[in-house]
Amino acid sequence: MADVRLTSVGKIYAGSVPAVKDISFTVPDGGFCVLVGPSGCGKSTLLRMIAGLETITMGEVRIGDRVVNTVEPMDRDIAMVFQNYALYPHMSVYDNMAYGLRNRKTPEAEISARVAEAARILELEPYLKRRPRELSGGQRQRVAMGRAIVRKPQVFLFDEPLSNLDAKLRGAMRVEIKKLQRHLGVTAVYVTHDQLEAMTLADMLVVMNQGVVEQIGAPLDLYERPETVFVAQFIGAPPMNMIELTPTKGLPAGLDGVAGLPLPAAGARLGIRPEHLGVEIDGDARIETRPGDVRLALTVEAVEAVGAETYIHGRLGGDGQMIAAREHGKVLLPAGTTRTFTARREHLHLFDLATGRRIAH
Amino acid sequence: MEKRSYFAGKLLPYALLMPQLLVTIVFFYVPAGQAVYQSFLLQDAFGMSTQFVWLENYQLLLSDPGYYQAMTVTAVFSVAVTTLSLSAALLLAVQADKSLRGAGIYKTLLIWPYAVAPVVAGVLWLFMFQPSLGMVAGGLRRMGVDWNPYLNSGDALTLVVLAAAWKEVSYNFLFFLAGLQAIPKSLIEAAAIDGARPTRRFWTIIFPLLSPTAFYLLTVNIVYVFFDTFGIIHAVTHGGPAGATTTLVYKVFNDGRAGGDLGGSAAQSVILMAIVIALTAVQFRFIERKVNY
Ligand SMILES: Nc1ncnc2c1ncn2[C@@H]1O[C@H](COP(=O)(O)OP(=O)(O)OP(=O)(O)O)[C@@H](O)[C@H]1O
Ligand SMILES: [Mg+2]
Repeated sequence: MADVRLTSVGKIYAGSVPAVKDISFTVPDGGFCVLVGPSGCGKSTLLRMIAGLETITMGEVRIGDRVVNTVEPMDRDIAMVFQNYALYPHMSVYDNMAYGLRNRKTPEAEISARVAEAARILELEPYLKRRPRELSGGQRQRVAMGRAIVRKPQVFLFDEPLSNLDAKLRGAMRVEIKKLQRHLGVTAVYVTHDQLEAMTLADMLVVMNQGVVEQIGAPLDLYERPETVFVAQFIGAPPMNMIELTPTKGLPAGLDGVAGLPLPAAGARLGIRPEHLGVEIDGDARIETRPGDVRLALTVEAVEAVGAETYIHGRLGGDGQMIAAREHGKVLLPAGTTRTFTARREHLHLFDLATGRRIAH
Repeated sequence: MEKRSYFAGKLLPYALLMPQLLVTIVFFYVPAGQAVYQSFLLQDAFGMSTQFVWLENYQLLLSDPGYYQAMTVTAVFSVAVTTLSLSAALLLAVQADKSLRGAGIYKTLLIWPYAVAPVVAGVLWLFMFQPSLGMVAGGLRRMGVDWNPYLNSGDALTLVVLAAAWKEVSYNFLFFLAGLQAIPKSLIEAAAIDGARPTRRFWTIIFPLLSPTAFYLLTVNIVYVFFDTFGIIHAVTHGGPAGATTTLVYKVFNDGRAGGDLGGSAAQSVILMAIVIALTAVQFRFIERKVNY
C-alpha cells in the first residue's frame, strides 16, 4: 500500500498554455481523493500524470517512497479505469481481466483464482466467456473494475468511470466503488465533474479550476467553509447565492442586517446557500430573529415543488438579482408575493470582492 | 437490434438494385460468358475459320509445361508481392501513427505511388534497375552484385515483385493507417498500464484489432496481383527471361494477343477466374471467421 504525493506538479502541453500549474497535495495511504472541477480544468491531465500516460513538465510525483516521474506506467503499480472502459474488444471478459497478470508472467493457476475472485465480488461470473460488446454498459464498467482489482495495485486511478451510465446505475456503482475501495484498502484518485459523486466518494476533495487547486479538504469542510467564491459556487446545488456588497455604491434594496458584517472598503460578496434561507409560512413564527441575522425581502417568481423540498426563486427587493431558496416540505407561495427570508449569522459566507477569497467574520 | 426496411411495392428493391446489376452484367457476366464460349473454340492461324472443339483447348493447356511454370511463377509472385506490400505498408503505417505530426506530408508522399499507372510504375523501376543505365543497378554493380534482370530469372522476378509491391504499398498504407487511428488511444494506454511493452502491445492488441483491415487488404491484394500487375510485367520484363516472370494473366495476354491463340487464351482466363473466385471464397470462409470479433 502506498500514499500518493504531488509536489509542485505542472504540465504544459507542447505549444500551449499550462494545463496544470503548481499542484501539491498528498493522498494518504488508503485514502479516497476526488479531483473535481469544471470541464477543461486539468483533472484528467493531473490523473494521467500520476498514471504515467503524460510526461510531467514540472514538479515531482511520488507513489509510496518512490519518485515515479520517469517510471513507465506498468512499473508504477497502479490500475486505471477509463471513462470509455477501454476493454479489449477481441478478448473475452476473462481474458480482459487476465491480460495484465499474463503480461507479468503470473502462473495460470493463480490467474484463474484471482479472476474468479474478482468475478465473484463484481458478480460477473455468468459473463466470463462473453466479449465486451455482448455486455451492458454497467457490466462493462464492472469488467473495467475487475481488470483493475485483479492486479492488486497500490493505487486505483479513475477518470470519470461512471459518466456513461444512467443516473440510477451511477448511484449504485458509486456505492459499489466506495465499498470495494474500503474493502481492499487501496489508495484511490478519482476524477469527476459530478459534485454529488465527489461529495459522497471523497475522504479528500480537491477542487480545481483552470489548472490550479482552489481548495483541498474533507467534502463537508469544503461545503461549510469554502475558501473561495469558486468553491462556494461549485459545491452545493443549487449553487450558493452571491450578493455583491459595495459600501460606496450603497447596499442592494431588500437586504437587511448586514451592518454588523466586517466589509472591506473595496467591497465583498455575501454568500448564502439556498438551504440556509428560511421563510415564515403564514404567520407561524418558525423563525425567531436573532441579532446578526440577515433578512432578504424576496418577490417570488417561480416555485418548484419536488415533494420533499421546494425551491423558491425570487427577486431581491422586488427588482434586484435572483435569489434561490430551498425549503423543507411543501411551501407553495403564489408568484408575486413578497416574503422575508432569514439567514443565520453563522451561515453567512463573506468573500473579498477583488480576490474572491474568504473573509473571516 | 436489427434494422429492417420495408418497401411498399415489390418492384422498388429491384429498381434500386438495377444500376448495380447492370454494371455487373455488362462488365462482368457478359465478358465472362464470352470468355467461356471462346474457350470452346479453335481458330486457325490466320483467323479465317473457327471451329467448336469442346474442351480441347483445356486439354492442350493442361499438357503444356509452360502453363505449369506460369502457375508456379504466379504463386511465388503473388505470395511475395502480397507479403511484401502488406508488411511494408503496416510498418510505415505504424510509424506514421506514432508520430502524427508530419504525418500529413508523409501520407501524401506515400499515396503518390497509387496514382501512378502500372506501366509507368514498371518503367520507373526499370529505369532504376536497368543493368547498364539504372542508378540502383550501377550501385549494385559497384557493390559487386552481378545484377541483370534481362538474363537472370531470379533478378527479373525480384524486380517485378518490388515494382508491383511498391505500387500497392500506398493503398495498403492508407487502410492500415485508418485502421490504426480507429483504435481508441485508451486501449493502448490500458495495455501499457496492464504491463504490455510496445512489441507485445502490438501483437496482442493492435494487430488483432487490425485483422479485419488486413483481411480485406489481403483479398484486394490477391486480386491485384493476379490481374493488375500485367502492365508492370509487360513494361519491365515482357514475361521473360524464358518465362520466369510470365504469370497466368501475362500468359493470357501473350498467348492471345501475341500468339494469336484466342481459344487457348480464353481457356486460360476462365481458369484464372476460377482460381481467383476459389481463393476469395476460401479466404472468406476460413480467415474471416478468425478475424471476427
Ligand atoms: N494532448 C493535449 N494536447 C494539448 N492540450 C491538451 C491535451 N490534453 C488536454 N489539453 C488541454 O489541457 C487542458 C486540461 O485538459 P483536461 O483533459 O485535463 O481537462 P479535464 O479537467 O479532464 O476536462 P473534462 O472534464 O472535460 O474531461 C484543456 O485546456 C485541454 O484543452
Ligand atoms: Mg477529463
